[in-house]
Amino acid sequence: MRLSKHRRATIAEMDMTPMIDIVLLLIIFFMTVTQVSELNRERLELPRLAGWEDQKQTTMTINVDAAGQVLVSGNAMSVAQLLTLVSVELAKLGDDPQRMTVVLRADQRGDCRTVNQIVNALGRMQISRLRIAVQVPA
Amino acid sequence: MKLSNRRIQRHRRLQLPMTSMIDVVFLLLIFFLTTASFVPTERDLESSMRVQASRATASDFQPAVVDVVPGRSGFVYRLGQRELDDPDQLVDLLARFENKAQGAFVRVSDRAPFLMAAAAVQACKTAGFASVSYIPLGEEP
Repeated sequence: MRLSKHRRATIAEMDMTPMIDIVLLLIIFFMTVTQVSELNRERLELPRLAGWEDQKQTTMTINVDAAGQVLVSGNAMSVAQLLTLVSVELAKLGDDPQRMTVVLRADQRGDCRTVNQIVNALGRMQISRLRIAVQVPA
Repeated sequence: MKLSNRRIQRHRRLQLPMTSMIDVVFLLLIFFLTTASFVPTERDLESSMRVQASRATASDFQPAVVDVVPGRSGFVYRLGQRELDDPDQLVDLLARFENKAQGAFVRVSDRAPFLMAAAAVQACKTAGFASVSYIPLGEEP
């Protein structure tokens, strides 16, 4: 006599395929939108203007915060020290000022005192390619 | 005589171990979720900007010179005899200049807000000037 029914053990299986699809899509999304943080870009409140053209590769990025402090690659420095740094970069370019492109990222809340000092100093070094970075309004 | 074991093969299911892959994928997802920062898009305002260390001479005042200087009530854009505080009005005025190929000059006082200096350069470009020269004015014009 057979008293108990022989039940085959059932294994609950979740269908993982849609979840993996979505997770992989999320990863691809974050990989594409994540910008590798550039060390030479300080967190500044740039002027919200349309700008004129997209940013290109530059030789040097100079940050000026709202207090007028000059920052290059995360290091605070005086205008005199900045000029030393510019001279080094200029030497790498064969002392040709025309090959040097400088991007000036200045905080819109500050005044033009430091910016003018930098512009004057660059002018004395015959560096004429200067760009002002702006933030495109949303 | 049995030549093939097809019957046995039919019932064998190939199972890939997904656990480790899902672990890695989730780790990657958490990494990107935590490190992602959405930075605003930046553009360049002027690529043909010329730095002029020396003060502008009388001949530099052609064809358009915009001063960012203190006015009666705060800093203003001065174009000729007119004082403006709205960049859009500045664009309208600059657009009336005919010889835009010669470029424009933006002269900025040391104490002027940088936002106004950038807005003046932007106005010149928007008005159609081929190049814009930035001229530091010093403390006062």
